[in-house]
Amino acid sequence: MDADFEHELWSQTPDAILTISPAGLVLHWNSAAERLFGYAAAEAIGQRLTELIVPPDGLVAELRIQVDAAAQNQAAYECVRRRKDGSLLHINVSSKGICQADGTLRYVLSTNRDVTHLKVLRDAKMVEAKFRDLLESTPDAIVMVNVTGRIVLVNTQAERVFGYPRSAMLGAPVEMLLPVRFRGTHNAHRANFFAQPRTRTMGAGLELHGLRSNGEEFPVEISLSPLLTDEGTMVMSAIRNITDRKKAEQKFRGLLESAPDAMVIVAQDGRIALVNSQTERLFGYRREELLGQSVEMLVPERFRSRHSVHRDGFFSRPRPRSMGAEMELYACRKDASEFPVEISLSPLETEDGTLVMSAIRDITNRRKAEQKFKDLLEAAPDAMVIVNAGGDIVLINTQTERLFGYPRQELLGRPLETLVPERYRAKHPHHRASFFLQPRARSMGAGLELYGLRRDGTEFPVEISLSPLETENGLFVSSAIRDATERKRYEQVLQDANRLKSEFLANMSHELRTPLNGIIGFSEFLIDEKPGAINAKQKEYLGDILTSGKHLLQLINDVLDLSKVEAGKMELFPEEFTVAEAVAEVYSVVSSMAMKKRIVVRHNIATAIDQVLLDRQKFIQVLYNLLSNAVKFTNDGGRVFVDIELRDQGEHHEQQLRLLVRDTGIGIRTEDLGKLFVEFQQLDSSTARRYQGTGLGLALTKKIIEFQGGEIAVTSEFGSGSTFEVLLPLATNSTTRIDATPDHA
Amino acid sequence: MPELILIVDDNPTNLKLASEVLEFEGFKVLRAVDAEGAQLLLAQSTPDLILLDIALPGMDGLTLTRKLKSNSQFRHVPIIALTAFAMKGDDQRAFAAGCDGYITKPIDTRELPRRVRNLLQAATHKEETRLTPE
Repeated sequence: MDADFEHELWSQTPDAILTISPAGLVLHWNSAAERLFGYAAAEAIGQRLTELIVPPDGLVAELRIQVDAAAQNQAAYECVRRRKDGSLLHINVSSKGICQADGTLRYVLSTNRDVTHLKVLRDAKMVEAKFRDLLESTPDAIVMVNVTGRIVLVNTQAERVFGYPRSAMLGAPVEMLLPVRFRGTHNAHRANFFAQPRTRTMGAGLELHGLRSNGEEFPVEISLSPLLTDEGTMVMSAIRNITDRKKAEQKFRGLLESAPDAMVIVAQDGRIALVNSQTERLFGYRREELLGQSVEMLVPERFRSRHSVHRDGFFSRPRPRSMGAEMELYACRKDASEFPVEISLSPLETEDGTLVMSAIRDITNRRKAEQKFKDLLEAAPDAMVIVNAGGDIVLINTQTERLFGYPRQELLGRPLETLVPERYRAKHPHHRASFFLQPRARSMGAGLELYGLRRDGTEFPVEISLSPLETENGLFVSSAIRDATERKRYEQVLQDANRLKSEFLANMSHELRTPLNGIIGFSEFLIDEKPGAINAKQKEYLGDILTSGKHLLQLINDVLDLSKVEAGKMELFPEEFTVAEAVAEVYSVVSSMAMKKRIVVRHNIATAIDQVLLDRQKFIQVLYNLLSNAVKFTNDGGRVFVDIELRDQGEHHEQQLRLLVRDTGIGIRTEDLGKLFVEFQQLDSSTARRYQGTGLGLALTKKIIEFQGGEIAVTSEFGSGSTFEVLLPLATNSTTRIDATPDHA
Repeated sequence: MPELILIVDDNPTNLKLASEVLEFEGFKVLRAVDAEGAQLLLAQSTPDLILLDIALPGMDGLTLTRKLKSNSQFRHVPIIALTAFAMKGDDQRAFAAGCDGYITKPIDTRELPRRVRNLLQAATHKEETRLTPE
């Protein structure tokens, strides 16, 4: 054998042949070794063999084999080797120690043959025998891989999912089923798995993809289980095509995103499974910070322990409902700030079990509006009670608590009739219903005496005004209730005082009249010279006494009448009388003064007027006051006119008596017209001196007219005269009333 | 023979005025300041007419009127009520109690004798009618 041939053998042998120094360094590295392990001879020679091609997890085993081999001088075994590219190979190794003459080791000669494929076949045979039936019965694609990453077994589902025939997959690196971009990292992950083999989901939280034979990618979910066999550890991966689920998820997520509320989907154990971007915005967390975390992170600290109890309660009877109905709920942001929320819950049945979907709405603004409304209620001086259409109290203010003596919680939700005295209760719901039919702001039971009922059973008079309150939850009634006790008491005091005043005035007028009786009577008696003759001067002075006395009497009578009107003690005594006769009676009294001043008094009574039904005495009093005023304030030689006629008035043509008294007198300044009908106001001091009067005449006249439902007006031109117009409604007897309103008959 | 008039008024001045006005007219006048005094006088003589103040201390005028009108001895004697209350209801109350006339104080010294005379005439006429049945 020549050296060239030996060299050719060395380089052409299909087995990798290498020699290692006693220190473990590579001495020789033939071409087959270069091909098998991927290292050129130049790269390998001088390197430590164990560092070069022994996988880290196989080092201990390798060292043991080498120790054995050294002891026996020769060894054959199978082991895993790592190529330069990181992939693993099954290698059949034969090695022999070559010694020097003195018996010391010169080098180790090692022949390495790739048996990876043989091993796969062995493994496949083994696992197929053991697991095939089982694997075919699972719905998932199953791909079993041995320690070198070669596929040793696939089931029919795997063929279908990946689109390869079984033969194309067996023995191939499992990375063929992965998109190219993931292959590099996959090697490393696989090695890690073999280092710590346990059942687990692959790439938790990551999106995994498979690669079909036609180059299509598809989303997968993979779970891994180690399988310890005589042939070493295998990995069984169950692969599920989740394309459909991903699509559904995508749709669902789109749906979640389109919801206006923050949507948080929570599993039974309280972990957040899904959130939408509204949730990120509302709570200030990023999605990754929320997923997989306990939902209680969104609940303020003080509610957390109770929340998990409620959550369990929900899952025990899952149905759509709003959370914590009637309760104020709060949520907690990442920055620990709290905000009021409204939450509705619905169960969500999924293949992973029942989840709860919660829609969370920030109601800060609504709360603010509500608060504003409440503040407004509190600011009201009255007790405010807001009632729904069912008559239940939904809101009250502090004034209500104080006025009725109930704490707020006792009233809310109770019927409004709680605050109404027993004897009015039966009718109250009816009144309430009619208010809801015609809701408008108004005072309640106008003209009626209303009472409230306190908690202690006492009653008190109230004034109530009602207003409708339109809200998004329907129509409510807001009632403002005011304690009328004080007003009532005040009114009573006023009434009493007024009555006392009237009584006092009546008594005073009686007491004042009695001595006047003597003054007027005896003066008159003397003027008539009944006891004997008197001279002219004496007669004149006695006349002055008599006039003063009569004036004083008139004053007293007017005061008495005014007080009667004010005390409501004036009475009407309508009677049939002839207008012309009454006018003549007044005329006869006034005529002497008129004649003295050479004033012509003319009257014109419409022919239609004969008998009228009126209070005769008051008619005479009014006419007398106006006529005597006219004569009094008209200069000598002037004229006074009286016109009386009938008028129809109003829808029912009520009859009115119209009385006009015109004069050509001194007139009244425009600015003085307002003072005309005020008690004790004569227009200026100069007129007061010239025209003696009580200052009560027109005030009393106006009151008497208004007391009868009539009215008085005046027009005047200063310097040329005044016109007083009086309208008096004529009293009607019952027969005329029925005739006038036939629709009531 | 002058007619006998009983005047009852608690105010002495008014009593004097009414009395003297009527005396100057030729009537004979009995005076009393209250209902009790009036009843003492009535026990002795029956007047032809009574002028009676409504507001009297003690028994009031209307009570005395009712008492007299229920007594056959005085039933025919006309009674004129005198009052300072010029209220419409007063005359009705006076008539209801049995008064035959009504004069508001202060009395009109010219009107009083005429009213008295009229009532006396009416009473005499009634009396005659009563005594001479048709």
